[in-house]
Amino acid sequence: MSRGNTPSQHNSTLAISPLVGNRNLQVQQQHSQQHSHHQAPQQLPQHAQQQRNDALHTQGNRQWSGSHRAAQTPHHAVTYSPLVQKIQNNASLATPAPVQNHGGSTAGLLASMTKSGLFGPAMPSTLRKVSAVTEPTRSPSNARQTMTMDELLDSNQIVNSIDIAQLPAAEKLRLWRHDSLMQHQYRTAEYIGDKVYAMTGDPNDAFWLAQVYFNSGSYIRAVELLTRNNLDTSSVMCRYLTALCLVQLKKYEDALDILGETNPFQDPQGNRVRNQDGGIKLESSMCYLRGKVFAALNNFERAKECLKEALQVDVKNFEAFDELISKNLLTPNEEWTFVASLDFSELDDNEDFIKSLYISKLSKHLNMDQVRKAQNFLITEYKLNNNTDIIHSHVDLLFTQCKFSECLKLCEEALEQNEYSFTILPTYISCLYELGGKNKLFLVSHKLAENFPKHPITWFGVGAYYMCTNKISEARKYFSKSSILDPTFSQAWIGFAHTYAVEGEHEQAVSAYSTASRFFPGTHLPNLFLGMQYLLMGTLPLAEEYFILSYDVCPYDPLLLNEMGVLYFKKNDFVKAKKYLKKAWEAIKALDSESKSWVSIHTNLAHSYRKLGENERAVKCFKLVLETAGKDTDTLCALGYVYLRMNRIGKAIESLHSSLALCPSNQTAQELLKQALEVNLSTALDENHPLVVSSQIREQSSGLDSRKRGAHKLDAHEMAKRLKHGRDSSDEEADDGDSMELE
Amino acid sequence: MDLPSNQLLIEIRAELRESASQLSRLKLYNSSKWSAEALWGMCEIEPTPIVSDLMKNDESPLRSRSNANAIESQRSPEKQGPGMDSSEYNLYLLASSLFDCKEFDRCAFFLADSQHPELLFLKLYSKYLSWDKKTQESVESMLTAGDVKGVDGMSSSGDGNRSRDNIERLRNHEAGDGRALKKFQKSVDLDNGESTSVPTILKELNDYLSKDQEGDESAGIGVALLHYLRGLLYKLQDIPSNAISSFLYSLSLFPYNWTCWTELISCISRSDESLLLLKVLNEKFISEKSQIMLKFFKLSVFQEFNGNIDDFIQELDYLLSIFPNFAFLKTQHALINYHYMDYVSAGLIFDQIIKLDPYRLEDMDTYSNILYVMQKTSKLAYLAQFASGVDRFRAETCCIIANYYSAKQEHEKSIMYFRRALTLNKNSTSAWTLMGHEFVELKNSHAAIECYRRAVDINPRDFKAWYGLGQAYEVLDMHLYSLYYFQRSCALKPLDKRMWQALASCYEKVDSTDESIKCYSRALQLSLNSDQDTSILFRLAVLHEQLQDIASCKTYMVKCVEAHQNTDGLISDEITKASLWLARHEAKHKRFSEAYKYALGVTHGTSQEIEEARAIARECRRRME
Repeated sequence: MSRGNTPSQHNSTLAISPLVGNRNLQVQQQHSQQHSHHQAPQQLPQHAQQQRNDALHTQGNRQWSGSHRAAQTPHHAVTYSPLVQKIQNNASLATPAPVQNHGGSTAGLLASMTKSGLFGPAMPSTLRKVSAVTEPTRSPSNARQTMTMDELLDSNQIVNSIDIAQLPAAEKLRLWRHDSLMQHQYRTAEYIGDKVYAMTGDPNDAFWLAQVYFNSGSYIRAVELLTRNNLDTSSVMCRYLTALCLVQLKKYEDALDILGETNPFQDPQGNRVRNQDGGIKLESSMCYLRGKVFAALNNFERAKECLKEALQVDVKNFEAFDELISKNLLTPNEEWTFVASLDFSELDDNEDFIKSLYISKLSKHLNMDQVRKAQNFLITEYKLNNNTDIIHSHVDLLFTQCKFSECLKLCEEALEQNEYSFTILPTYISCLYELGGKNKLFLVSHKLAENFPKHPITWFGVGAYYMCTNKISEARKYFSKSSILDPTFSQAWIGFAHTYAVEGEHEQAVSAYSTASRFFPGTHLPNLFLGMQYLLMGTLPLAEEYFILSYDVCPYDPLLLNEMGVLYFKKNDFVKAKKYLKKAWEAIKALDSESKSWVSIHTNLAHSYRKLGENERAVKCFKLVLETAGKDTDTLCALGYVYLRMNRIGKAIESLHSSLALCPSNQTAQELLKQALEVNLSTALDENHPLVVSSQIREQSSGLDSRKRGAHKLDAHEMAKRLKHGRDSSDEEADDGDSMELE
Repeated sequence: MDLPSNQLLIEIRAELRESASQLSRLKLYNSSKWSAEALWGMCEIEPTPIVSDLMKNDESPLRSRSNANAIESQRSPEKQGPGMDSSEYNLYLLASSLFDCKEFDRCAFFLADSQHPELLFLKLYSKYLSWDKKTQESVESMLTAGDVKGVDGMSSSGDGNRSRDNIERLRNHEAGDGRALKKFQKSVDLDNGESTSVPTILKELNDYLSKDQEGDESAGIGVALLHYLRGLLYKLQDIPSNAISSFLYSLSLFPYNWTCWTELISCISRSDESLLLLKVLNEKFISEKSQIMLKFFKLSVFQEFNGNIDDFIQELDYLLSIFPNFAFLKTQHALINYHYMDYVSAGLIFDQIIKLDPYRLEDMDTYSNILYVMQKTSKLAYLAQFASGVDRFRAETCCIIANYYSAKQEHEKSIMYFRRALTLNKNSTSAWTLMGHEFVELKNSHAAIECYRRAVDINPRDFKAWYGLGQAYEVLDMHLYSLYYFQRSCALKPLDKRMWQALASCYEKVDSTDESIKCYSRALQLSLNSDQDTSILFRLAVLHEQLQDIASCKTYMVKCVEAHQNTDGLISDEITKASLWLARHEAKHKRFSEAYKYALGVTHGTSQEIEEARAIARECRRRME
């Protein structure tokens, strides 16, 4: 088999028939679609229907996707369906079923895929008879097959019985092999496939035997089989399969050898061949595989390129897209520009649909309106409002906006329908962690551990639970377990690093975070956390560098802006600090959230105002924080300090008091209080002293009622006067009290 | 099986609805709950006109529900406007019976999606109550743990290094832990990601009310109560200005909510604020009808912030003419006597109240205070026995018993009962203050400070607690602190000379002679019989001496000695000292006859003083001769 004989890399495996070897004919047919049906005498009936991409299709099938819609004859209409095609191909053997386009190809295809009919209707079926004849013992297990046939019958197809007995022996065995493969009876498939291959020596049979090996998990045998016959050099499909096996075996270098470092099919002119059959182009799959290999080899730059290429070659390659997005290989901006550059036109009438689906998965840090538009489009046009992926998009949006409780609610709704949806679960777990839902976390991780003991998310959940209950070492154990199971699972990595950060082990935390930042170039979080660690350690220049790196990736995250504010605050660059904190404030206002981060941003902003001497604003800010977040000793202390500086002694003492009431050992507050009390002592007890004022008011009020009015005026006047004659207090600094948050 | 006919269903539903409201009217809460749950769980029936008829019928029993004043105003059949529809009414029945059974979380759950203002109020109020209950439970366990087995109970929950026998330490720690808890429990966590906290409730409330803002003044009681709840939450959040405006709005919609009035008082902390508030209220409540509530409010304000006593008496008389048998008014009368230290008449009024309404325990703790001050121990003992017979687990009862033990000098026991009282009602300031006094008796300043602090945390208008704080810090020689506290108490009671006196002595101790003189002069002004207050006069004299202002000093000394003439021969230390000083002073200035006169006046005092006086007298006599 030469390369020429194999389908072009622009086609999918749909083109590869599991049966038979007259490749030449097939290739011819590929070019001369008109004759597809009758020029393939060897084409044999297939009972096993195709459920997967790599499953079988006969040569006619490759036309059922978009391009051949021009073919309008009834015959061709029938060929739309791979299933119908099968029968059609039996023309020589049985009466052709020249019929009917029942609503187009997809209907037939979908019918073949439907599972609901497993217990098919009790309608008599000729085909059932057929299968009963060929494999009498298997008739019940053939239900699915029968069902699909029943579907055909429903659509008024007249199918005469196919006389399998007339087939050559090898073909019968091939049928057998395929059916057992479809029914996941790998030993049967292997047994028979081996025999067929031994009998015929056909490379096609070798390929299918390799498929059997792959499916049964004996990757090394598949590789051996394919290399022994040099199939991997002669056929693209085989090459792909070999590489896939090698990746499974974690022999990445070998896989790369097979795949080539770059895309060998790349067309220098940039001409792009349209996919003919609606499947995923093999070329794209190979690019994807190459990307995976590079990722496994920690060459993320190349991996990113390859995955992008995979998508550029064929937008239908969702795995590549998912890999790019969910593994955080692209920065938010890159994601958006990349998706905008993709050509969805190949999808014809599904163009908008898929584009919206993809957009709904993109980063929610920017272009929120587009995300919303995509979501609405999908919901209104396609009624996907209960689809997990759409819900996930919503959930992700809420999570990015730090609206954890709403997010949690939505997650729970989604999980009610699909309890173990691995797209939702990580966000759900993070939400529970954020909200301190220990109890639910416990339940969820137990359920997961029972059902998916080998899934990384399970152990991520367990780790989060221990993190929540403050058992750091256990949490670390499970986070690392999770990240071993899936090294590209970013949350687990970051959780792992957090365990060190929480324990104050900066060095380890730094190394863990920096590994994470290498693994996940598309997310700003590792760099942000790195910066925070350095900030904690007091290495401001390094911290700044990391923050800037992080800023380059995602300049929209209020947390990052907050940290940058804190950094400049620490560097005594208060103007800059104010700038960033204001930005953060803007961002969080846009997100209208009321979480911990909201509080810390406001606190920090207030501190910056304090440093800049904008006392009134600082007071306003501090008060706002106290009102929304409840009392906090440091905030109260800082507020007291500002009041002291404004020479509002009474207020200062009051807030310092309440600060000390919350935490009696607050040294700064104690110092400040002492100072305030001294100032209080030195305040002259003159006309303007509040005490004198209030005593006057009281005297008046107990006197005549008519004088009350005057009393107010007097009071307000006096108060203002008292506030005016300000006196600068010392320069002693209050503790910064910056709130640093890990998440 | 045949499906039950629509008619049957409707009848069943009507019966259930009837039973739920009847049972709850007659306080069989659990039965009522059962009916309401059954009603809620019933299948859907297509609405027919009959249903609404039945609805109207069973509305009437509900209207007479005593505690559901919320419903009364608008449940009347004629006024269908803000009423509930059938399913909302079912929901209301369920929620109210759950509320009656104190299942607040459940109540909130069932009402989760309701938009009717009354249902919303029930939901948020039960959320708030649930939050409050849970926070209090955790604080309470601290209190009782400290109570039952002092240190052991504490060691499990606190940090290390505390001495076992030191009750003072225990108090401090308990307080510290309680505080810490209070902070953490700001948000009650159900451990499954849902948490209630004041801000979250407030947010929901604000969302609703801002949507409903354009709602006219004639909005129903539901909206009024929602505003009241908002005020309550703002107050918890320490935003008194917002709280006041919410309360005012609520009152303008529905003025008969007395707790709202009392909450309104608790939002103001200075007398000038009270004046301003009264002015606003006077403008707001013009109609004769609403004036009544305002008058009640004025009485309460007066109790807290004093004012014109004549006005007060006038208002009280007016109200008493309308409500001659209203115990509340009588109590107000008694309280005002108590505040003016007319204990005898206060006691008499309380006796009347007891006759009128013997099982009313409210304010009886004040009566016990009066009996305590008047040292009528036997009567106090009777009152204590009686109160514990009525209800042993009332905060008031515990306070009375505590007062009784305190009168018997059994301070430990007294403290125990005050604690009990506080467990029952954590917001009782007077209990905290009195407990502080008990600790002072036990010479435990730190514990006393803790108690006073709690008292002022709860009610910053309690001048006794501020004063107690000042005194306790004075004992600890922390004069800067005590100065501030005396200032606070003085700000609350600027017409009380004791406050100014305390302030003055404090200034004196930190060497601020000028300020001290000012305070003493103020105290002297306020003194009813300013010529006879020898101690103030003497202090003033001494301070002027320190300022080398001998002339003023002398005048005060003379005044001090002259006071002697008015006080029927009662001679205080100060008079002796003043006489001695004058004698010395005159002798120095060679006015020996004067000196001799003063020296002779020294008949009391220490032997040294008498000795010195004699020496001066001898010397003067010698010189004069």
